[in-house]
Amino acid sequence: MIYFLGILISLAVGFFSIRLLIAGRLNLIPHILLGLVFGLGIDGYTVFYTHILFNQFNRFLPVGIVTLVILILYIIQSREQLQLVSLRAKRNNLFKEIASSLKNVPRNDTLLKNTRHNGRIKKYALGLLALCVLAIPLVISAHYYPLGGWDAWSCWNLKAKFIFLGKENWKDMLSPGLWRSNTHYPILWPLINVWFWDLSGRFNQAVPMFNSIVFALLTAGILLFGIFELTGMILPSILAAVVVTALPLGVTLYTSQYSDALLGLFLLSAFISLLLAEKYKLPKLKILSMAFLGLMSFTKNEGLIAACIMALGIFWHERSHKKELKPLLFSFFIAILPTIIFTLFMAPKNEAFINGLTSMEKPASWGRLIVILIYPCFEFISGKWNGFWLLTLGGVLLAGRRLWQSTLGLMGASLILYLAVVMAYYAVNTFFEINWWLSTTLSRILFTLVPTIVLWIGVALLTPAPAKKQ
Amino acid sequence: MRNLKIIFLTCLILASVFDLFQAYANAIAQLQDRTTIPLHSLGLQFMGLENIFKGTRTVGYYTDKDLTNPLAVAQFEQAQFMLTPTVLDLNHTQYRWDIFDCTSPQAAMQVIQRLGFRPLKINHGIILAFNPNGI
Repeated sequence: MIYFLGILISLAVGFFSIRLLIAGRLNLIPHILLGLVFGLGIDGYTVFYTHILFNQFNRFLPVGIVTLVILILYIIQSREQLQLVSLRAKRNNLFKEIASSLKNVPRNDTLLKNTRHNGRIKKYALGLLALCVLAIPLVISAHYYPLGGWDAWSCWNLKAKFIFLGKENWKDMLSPGLWRSNTHYPILWPLINVWFWDLSGRFNQAVPMFNSIVFALLTAGILLFGIFELTGMILPSILAAVVVTALPLGVTLYTSQYSDALLGLFLLSAFISLLLAEKYKLPKLKILSMAFLGLMSFTKNEGLIAACIMALGIFWHERSHKKELKPLLFSFFIAILPTIIFTLFMAPKNEAFINGLTSMEKPASWGRLIVILIYPCFEFISGKWNGFWLLTLGGVLLAGRRLWQSTLGLMGASLILYLAVVMAYYAVNTFFEINWWLSTTLSRILFTLVPTIVLWIGVALLTPAPAKKQ
Repeated sequence: MRNLKIIFLTCLILASVFDLFQAYANAIAQLQDRTTIPLHSLGLQFMGLENIFKGTRTVGYYTDKDLTNPLAVAQFEQAQFMLTPTVLDLNHTQYRWDIFDCTSPQAAMQVIQRLGFRPLKINHGIILAFNPNGI
């Protein structure tokens, strides 16, 4: 029960924040889904700041701060609505007579509107039903691995336990002896887990398990309703969500309680917000997009790299809108601040790094580079992906030039640049034997990109090219 | 172009149905599976020690196992997960409490006696020892 209260509080924070930003002009379901993702991120940050400022666990601080934020957001929201109502009332007085004369006349366009509205509701219901079907294997798999995969108990949940149970010694999670748990990695997923434990006042292993299901369903939901919002087609939107979430490898990775799922969710949310901002002419949604990128940087080091690449891409894309650039920069800075604090002042040195360019003992070699270039080809045709990458190739060929136009072009370029940087890191860091390293991590790197790649191709295939500016 | 899009959509539907079918088949298999012992069961043998270590920041963890073997590493990391927020210092025994996880209990007892520690508890071959001169 407390878990669901935590979800409700997170939803309220995120929902009101987005509503305040864009004055409620987004459809309800995408608004709720993006609101929950944003709210969970804010909760994680609140836990981080309270631990940084007070250096110990205090369950009332993060919960109190978040409740206060909800109250403030609610008051601002109510005031704005009150002003809107009074404005409308004045306007209504002027047209009162005309309105009353029209009241009893049957209107054909109203009938048409109602029919369209009902059709849309049916489509939303179908989308929600698809999410329920996708939830079943996720729930069973999560229950089958209650402690998640290896990295869940050796890294992410271990850190969460240190933050929650360690009291004033919570920074012991960064002890050099724990280098196997990737002590230098950012900690947003553990902080979100701690948020729920703070709320209930006790450690409960079910929380990371539930969170893994929620993150998977949020990814599926945002992809499904995001594509639906952008294209108006429900069947391809459902298929896109199914192909991402029902993939057996995906089910395993989602329920492994790895931070990769959270990285993928923020990446998808950032690009959905960007595309919706363009479609609905809501430039303020781009601020949300930058906030999601900032949150993504606190999930993993790969997230930090991806966030920087994609933020730079968006800044470049928006370079002609000088007025809009400032708030984008500001929101990105605010959202990336915990990552900066953690990386510069808290994170220990990465013990699993040898610079192959300078090392005499383990130098980077041509052989290593060739393996890095060839291995992904075998990964793409590997049976564990059920032909997903062949389907992707088909989609890329079919969408053609549309993939490289406007915001979609920015998405494609960012994804390619990100993969290039990751490959370069594989080549330069010679700490691990390359075949073993690629076999254990490449599928996870690709898994984080899968929802965004499906969005990229889906939107390119289903929407017409933008008209050229005169 | 339209035909190609129809072929692509058909492939997408087939892939989705196949994925969904496989995901449900795996889920049913998981529901019926009562034989697999998951890796995280390795940590269960350390349960209860967290009550002894209450308020202790670091304890020693000694093992003579080959740490290139993933199972040995998994055992150590599971122990760490179970006993958090106490840090386990691998192969250091200068602490008041030390855990001995050796290839056999006899091998562990030999090391404990050599170091002059007092064995306190044994569970599944894992021994908790007290170091009277420990920090």
